[in-house]
Amino acid sequence: MSFFSRLKNALHPTRLDHELLDEMQDHLDRRAAALREQGLSPSEAATQAAKRFGNATLLREQSRGFRLSGTLESTLQDVRYAARGMRKTPAFAITAILSLALAIGANTAIYSIVDAALLRPLPVPEPDRLFTLSTPGVQEPGRAEPASKRENFNYPLYKQFRATAGDSARLALFSNVGNQMTELQIPDANAPIEKATRQFVSGEAFDILKVPPALGRVFTGEEDRIPWGHPVAVVSYDYWTRRFQSDPQIVGKRLYIPPRGTFTIIGVAQKGFFGVEPGRFIDIWLPAMMYSKASFDDLGWNWFRIVGRFAPGVAAPQLQPRLQPILRDWTQQWINHFPTMPPAIKNQFLEAQLRVRPGRAGVSAFRDTFARPLWIVLAVAAGILLIACANIASLLLARSTARASEMAMRISLGAGRSRLIRQLLTESLLLSILAGALGWILAIVTAPALIAMLSTQNDPVKFALAMDTRVLFFCVLVSTVAAVFFGLLPAWQASGAQPMLELRGMPARSGKLRWGQFFVGVQVAFAFCLIVAGAGFLFTLKNLFAVNLGFAPHNVSMFMIGVAGLSDMTQRPQLNVFLDEFQKRVAAIPGIESAATAQWELFDAPQIGAQVIVPGKPLPDREEIFGSVSPGYFGALKTPLLAGRDFEQRDRLITTGPGPAIVNQALARAYFPGENPIGKIFQVPNEQSLVDRVIIGLVADSAFGSLRLAPQPIAYGVIRGTNRFELYVRSPLELGAVVKLVDGAVESIGYRTRIMSVTTLDTLIGDTLLREKLLAGIGGVFAFLGLFLAAIGLFGLLNYSVVRRTKEIGIRAALGARPPALVYLVLKDMLNMIAGGLIVGLAASLALMTFVRSLLFGIRPLDPLVITTAAAVFFAAAFIAGGLPASRAASIDPMVALRHE
Amino acid sequence: MASAQTALDLLVLTVLDRRGPLHGYGIASSIEDLSAEALRIDEGSLYPALHRMEEIGWITASWTVTENKRRARIYQLTRAGKKQLASETERWTNFSVGVARVLRHA
Repeated sequence: MSFFSRLKNALHPTRLDHELLDEMQDHLDRRAAALREQGLSPSEAATQAAKRFGNATLLREQSRGFRLSGTLESTLQDVRYAARGMRKTPAFAITAILSLALAIGANTAIYSIVDAALLRPLPVPEPDRLFTLSTPGVQEPGRAEPASKRENFNYPLYKQFRATAGDSARLALFSNVGNQMTELQIPDANAPIEKATRQFVSGEAFDILKVPPALGRVFTGEEDRIPWGHPVAVVSYDYWTRRFQSDPQIVGKRLYIPPRGTFTIIGVAQKGFFGVEPGRFIDIWLPAMMYSKASFDDLGWNWFRIVGRFAPGVAAPQLQPRLQPILRDWTQQWINHFPTMPPAIKNQFLEAQLRVRPGRAGVSAFRDTFARPLWIVLAVAAGILLIACANIASLLLARSTARASEMAMRISLGAGRSRLIRQLLTESLLLSILAGALGWILAIVTAPALIAMLSTQNDPVKFALAMDTRVLFFCVLVSTVAAVFFGLLPAWQASGAQPMLELRGMPARSGKLRWGQFFVGVQVAFAFCLIVAGAGFLFTLKNLFAVNLGFAPHNVSMFMIGVAGLSDMTQRPQLNVFLDEFQKRVAAIPGIESAATAQWELFDAPQIGAQVIVPGKPLPDREEIFGSVSPGYFGALKTPLLAGRDFEQRDRLITTGPGPAIVNQALARAYFPGENPIGKIFQVPNEQSLVDRVIIGLVADSAFGSLRLAPQPIAYGVIRGTNRFELYVRSPLELGAVVKLVDGAVESIGYRTRIMSVTTLDTLIGDTLLREKLLAGIGGVFAFLGLFLAAIGLFGLLNYSVVRRTKEIGIRAALGARPPALVYLVLKDMLNMIAGGLIVGLAASLALMTFVRSLLFGIRPLDPLVITTAAAVFFAAAFIAGGLPASRAASIDPMVALRHE
Repeated sequence: MASAQTALDLLVLTVLDRRGPLHGYGIASSIEDLSAEALRIDEGSLYPALHRMEEIGWITASWTVTENKRRARIYQLTRAGKKQLASETERWTNFSVGVARVLRHA
């Protein structure tokens, strides 16, 4: 039979049915006629013929299978049938589809982020041949948090690496973008100053990655020659379309990037190329030679990452031994600049092994921070999916009881079991396909919102969030697996209906209830796990917010101020005067309580470290944080001054003798235990010599980089004249009003002063808690969702069991059981159902919490507070779910119940 | 292997070979007659077998109008069917000879 006649058969199932019916009817007629000739009565002949023929329906089904050579037609029929079934029970269909759509949507959305951030290779040819270089972190003794790996390199070392690698690999340099955008101006358009993300790259970087230009040209080795001699730029395709509206005349246009000067755009990079750091889109690339001149000879100025491409036939084991000696020589040379470096740290530097790691997915600071939380969130989403599946499975089971007589009828009419299972699975599949489509839409809407949760004003995270075939494939896979998971068992159960029992109205066997209990147990276990995790993350966030910061963050806004009219190098005295005058003016504005300046932005500053050397004591083996602040800084932040005095303006003019310093309690405890630190002298290494400092004040401990860390020792010096600094303003007014006031002061003071960025201390603190907020937010929502689904499942099963036991309950009521006893009966049932799930859930949540321990704060894996809270929430939900069936049981009228049959 | 299915196939092919084109009822009656009612099968089970062999290509079928103006589906052996019949017959003979020998000498 040709494919077309098969297709014809499939599309016109009735015609095929008619043919089969006709042919078999013809047979029966002929047989009956023959039997009549042998003398049987017409009715007897017909009966006899049918008996000899066998199960006509089943045979027709079999034949139909052959005639279609497959399942095409029966599938279409199943789909039609399933759709009809869903229309007939809309409540079930809507509940199932919605809960499943939520679960599938959540999984798909999170997977799309995991895919973009962690899994997807860079959009360049042969990404598997790329590698990155790094060295292990150097662990300072006494620091709790593990040191992060060192991925940044300096130019002298890079030049040697490049020369040594020779033919075996090509190395490209990509500057650290950090989280600050760069200011620039497009002079042609007479536009105001705007911001963009720019990166410095070595000349051959594009060639090594094999990224061609979409327009014009990209850099070549020619751009690697003269420091400050290549004022050219390549812009990204995205930036070109966004900022220049895909201007075909872009090549030759100019960009003014202070303070480096004017750059000429020579080309647009290939569409889709965003750099080597997933999570960050580069707008403009500049040649590495345009970076600060001093960096090219500085052994300690580590400002870029190295991404390379192996030559054919070369791999990490061949490359590493060639580069390792270069690293060791450089370390030896560099370390000589730090005669006071403690041996413990020195040795770690000297023994560091260069790591040549796969670079197919690029380099990513985002990945380092968020890889683990993202996987956890994905696991949580998978938990939701399992709950949703178990929920639908138990709903299907309950429904299969309702459909038992239908199934029995179909079996007695000759339907084979596999045919029934296939049909029931089609129903499940249809459910999950509809849910998958809905979930897909949900994912498209929510994924960008999730990414927004990970972004901050200072650190915009952006992904190539392609809802592409990979993600679609994931979505379809999840939907299908879900359908099989929740559909198979109920289908098996339902298709096993025993026609004789069912049609006589015998009660269903208890097997179904047992499986129902199993599914409720699964839901309970997972829901409990999710609640514990959600509670754990929420308590973590609460604990972090409750940390004693050592200052009062509310109502403090921060302004980065730039002074273009005064030089940092030559006009320091003027800048000193300017700084004091500026602070005084801002503080005098009505509505502003206090103002201060500092060199750092709390929580977002690169940590400036130096050793604190106390004369007469052994060299310390760690470095402490140093910062420069103005007089009045501690007052503005409300950090208590515990002893001594605050800085004064004259402090910065001291040129002979030790410079004044203020230290916090942690530093005093560590270096002057049991002593009064005021008046004590310590030394700080500066180049090859030591500089004396005298402690004039002691302040309370305060948080610096992360809320998770115990207070760290901090030494403060007085801020000196500078043309870029941070202004801290305390005011009860709202941010917009404060900005207006400060803007007025900035306008009036001259020196081309301007505000470069504005934020609040509260925002900055919040930004350090992104991971925690993500986990608490998603964990909380998912815990609620899981609980809700589990409650529905529990309610469904209890309700079903009450209906089944109506008669028994009626007898109990007739024999004098009071309503409370009947309620107790149902609730006891419920406790039996959830007990097993709860025990498993408790054990699993313990394992889960141990696994995520590093993300928790102030909470132990088996925290009584968390467990108690989770249990309270869970039981509250369980009793609401159980309450309705219980009250139904209590209100059963014995007379009605006994007539129930 | 000589399963019930291959046995039925063999019978159908043989009948069609000896008696020419037939409808399903004719095939069933022929088998019954020829085996002297020793082989009583569910007559209906003939049809899935016919449709399967049709799908494989051993037989073809077409609707015709018979002597008494009734529509009937007539089956006919194809070349592939003839080949199949030849090889199956040989295997069946070998098999039954073997079985008979065991029965005699065991």
